[in-house]
Amino acid sequence: MRAGADMRHITLKLMREDLPRAGLVLAELEAFAPDERPLLDSELPEIPGTAFRARIRRAWGYLDRLLALLDAPLTTQVPAAQPLQREELVAIEQWLEQAWNECGPSEDALHRLEDDFRELRHLEESLNDFADLDVDLSRLQAGEGLLDIRIGSIPADNLARLRDVLALSNHLILDVSDDGETLRIVIAGSRENASVLDSVLLAAAYQALEIPDSFDDNPEALRIELQTRRQTLERQCHDLRDSLKDWWESNREQLLHARALLEAAEPYAHLRGAARSRGILGVLQGWAPESRLAEVETRLTQKLSQPFLLESRRPRADERHLVPVPVKNKGILQPFSTLVQQYGVPRFGEFDPTLLFAVTFAGMFGMMFGDVGHGAVILLTGILLRRRLHSFTYLFVLAGASAMLFGWLYGSVFGVEHWLQPLWIAPMSDPIYMLTVALGWGVAFLTLGSTIAIINRLLADDQAAALFGPGGVLPLILYFALLGGLISLAQGHGFPVVASAVIVLTLVALIAYQWHSSDAPYGERVMITVIETYEIINGYATSSLSFLRVAAFSLNHVALSLAVFTLADTMGAVGHWIVIILGNVFVIVLEGFIVAIQTLRLEYYEGFSRYFYGDGKPFRPLRVGRGQTY
Amino acid sequence: MSRFTDQAYLRTRLAIMGRNLLSREDLDELIELPLEELAAVSGFDAVPGDNNAIRLATFERTLMQTWLDELSALLRPLEGPARRLLTHWASRYEVLNIKALVRGKIGQLPIDEIEKSLFRLPGFLSLNHDQLLNTDNVVELLRQLQKTPYQRLATQALRRYEERPDPFLLDATLDQQFYGDLIDRSHHLSGTDRTEVLSLIGRIVDGHNLVWSLRYRYNYGLQAGEVLYLAIDGGRVLDRARLQELLHAESLADALRSLPPGLPGGGQLPQQITLIEAVMRQDLFAYAERAMRYSPSALTSVLSYLVLRYGGINALYAIVHARVYGLDEELLQWALDPLQQEAA
Repeated sequence: MRAGADMRHITLKLMREDLPRAGLVLAELEAFAPDERPLLDSELPEIPGTAFRARIRRAWGYLDRLLALLDAPLTTQVPAAQPLQREELVAIEQWLEQAWNECGPSEDALHRLEDDFRELRHLEESLNDFADLDVDLSRLQAGEGLLDIRIGSIPADNLARLRDVLALSNHLILDVSDDGETLRIVIAGSRENASVLDSVLLAAAYQALEIPDSFDDNPEALRIELQTRRQTLERQCHDLRDSLKDWWESNREQLLHARALLEAAEPYAHLRGAARSRGILGVLQGWAPESRLAEVETRLTQKLSQPFLLESRRPRADERHLVPVPVKNKGILQPFSTLVQQYGVPRFGEFDPTLLFAVTFAGMFGMMFGDVGHGAVILLTGILLRRRLHSFTYLFVLAGASAMLFGWLYGSVFGVEHWLQPLWIAPMSDPIYMLTVALGWGVAFLTLGSTIAIINRLLADDQAAALFGPGGVLPLILYFALLGGLISLAQGHGFPVVASAVIVLTLVALIAYQWHSSDAPYGERVMITVIETYEIINGYATSSLSFLRVAAFSLNHVALSLAVFTLADTMGAVGHWIVIILGNVFVIVLEGFIVAIQTLRLEYYEGFSRYFYGDGKPFRPLRVGRGQTY
Repeated sequence: MSRFTDQAYLRTRLAIMGRNLLSREDLDELIELPLEELAAVSGFDAVPGDNNAIRLATFERTLMQTWLDELSALLRPLEGPARRLLTHWASRYEVLNIKALVRGKIGQLPIDEIEKSLFRLPGFLSLNHDQLLNTDNVVELLRQLQKTPYQRLATQALRRYEERPDPFLLDATLDQQFYGDLIDRSHHLSGTDRTEVLSLIGRIVDGHNLVWSLRYRYNYGLQAGEVLYLAIDGGRVLDRARLQELLHAESLADALRSLPPGLPGGGQLPQQITLIEAVMRQDLFAYAERAMRYSPSALTSVLSYLVLRYGGINALYAIVHARVYGLDEELLQWALDPLQQEAA
């Protein structure tokens, strides 16, 4: 139940030349997470592979850019079980660099062509905009007379700012045509301020429109000119893409080979400070589960050419916060593990809440949604949709089974309460009893949560929080004293003196602790102390009451079913069954969804927030291939 | 952001974190410490290694990580626009990274050299630095950036760079976009949060606009209209009309004579832009300190703390950096507080 209890710190002592191979073996096993602390820097001061890493990075840089330019993802996998040697890496990097030098200019050319296409489109659209006007645009652009007129485009985001700034120098933006992210605009103003306008337009990323000479006197010639220009651009673009395609076809195998080798080199590159060396000796250090150590040793024996020594030890107390924790549960617990991770990763040594979460989630869901028929539908839905739901099938099956079990206890089948004799109680027969049970369950749940919180804090060596923090020993005693006193009062025995004394004492201790731990100015300190103490009492009270919803939803389920039946009874024979079927679908989907959310809420807010730190480090083992950043 | 418990959480956190802030006296004491003691007090001695340049880079990242950890703790109770505002504020580190990448590419520095100047940020803020580093030039870098959440910023920068490849124009574009988005996000807040946050950001923008507008206009000789276009909207005192008035002055001295009321120094600012920058920074920090303690908006107090903490971290790093490289104490004092040194 303690997260990462199986984790060990391992040190692998080996010959330096075996480091890349050892990295690859460990990555294939996915059982080792590197530890980069300089624990051995005095004995082994060198971090091998620095130049190797730089080369790999450059090689990936060229390969990534080539693949993006060629727009041809390498989908075929080529296995490369051998670690990459330095000479091979140099050769690959040089080849990729040369390949990029060959293809790179095509990328620039393609971008230039894109720009030319965009400009041509703007020109066509702008000329179209002005086609009906009896104005000689080329003369206006050429700068005659007192009026300074510019026609061009700017990024759409810049319009408002440009308009404001130009207004200050008495320029106007006369016409705006939308073209998605770019706007075509006409600007007019006095020629006196031309230099001001130039500088502002430069800052606004303005691009002037080149008006062809033929625009005004020969529209047909212009149309042909633009068409010819477009055809030329298309041909150039086509030729470029063809040449890139040819290059890709003749070099595909080599690119695949390069990628496979680079991927095989990734684990070694990713080791960084976890690998150290001095002369011919090398060391690898990291974390691995004890259950995998035998397998690691066997595989290393098979693969390494030189002798090695694998040592392991339990994590020291000062390393607890550094130990990575495996978070992937298999089988029925997997969906619950995913939901736990939505909240956080358990710290090393902290109580792993996954199992408790699975049991209480299923239990509360069943209690709120107890119905044999509806539970069976949820269970069958999970099984039928297992291909889509993957591991979440288990969650559906467990929730459905729990709903069926409670349905049997409540004697409810598709909302009908007289087909089955309840093994325990029909919720509507005694709502107060149901609420009392829910409250009792809440008290038990909160007590369990607080106990785990106390243990977790003691394990984290935080005695003060274990004693005084929310959910700590003193707040728990205060909670029990309040609860005991209130129960006694409700039973007509008055509020016991012992309970009152315990409440006063624990409150004084809590207030003193809050006061002592804050060093804010006097007024703020009073406020913090009052609020924090109030929060502890209020937190327990509201959390306990929160669990009343467990009973409320079981009652709600019956009430909703009753509403469906009442509505169905007002219909004819066909309508009756339609309403029954649709009503049940409605209950299963809507209420099932709400109950699941409410259960999750109770788990997260009333459970996890009480005892779960959730700030642990997930175990991310070294793996073969890309996706490990460095 | 109005829940009483959230406000209490933030106030409590700030009361505790406030102890991390460095006063002028603290900085003076640090400057006077011998290097060994300074290293122990600042945490620099915890950074392993022999190469001081690498150690300093690691130290800077550690300080930045501290700032981000504190930000994460303060973000915890926040959601919606308040959370988005603070997350955006944190992305200023990524904007600094982009600037460093651009400068590195313009200067054709080796990849490793550029990388040393980058901050390593948590996943939710960080770009793929490898991809950006592996570009041949600024244009390719900006094209790569267009494929990231910084697409708008990159498109503007690319167009401007293609028209005129000036690094300062790119810097101005990046700042303009960053602060523009920050102000947009502030407008999504409601009630007191909105007024108070805009007032704080207005001061930051005023400082930025005044210093950079004067620099562009009178040091770099840019046209008034262009400078006006590059200014950031959302200043508290310096709106566009007032900036225009300022920028049409013939000289820096004339410009300073026509300063609008409401700026620090009561319109009597020093004649050097570096000193003006120091006055504006001092005023901002004094305001932020008041806002951190007394603002009715807990969000503004948090933002003020982050501003102050950022300033403190920069100062601490500058001191350690200067002492490691044996910089003259007087020069260091001047760099940290040019106003006091000028007065002396």
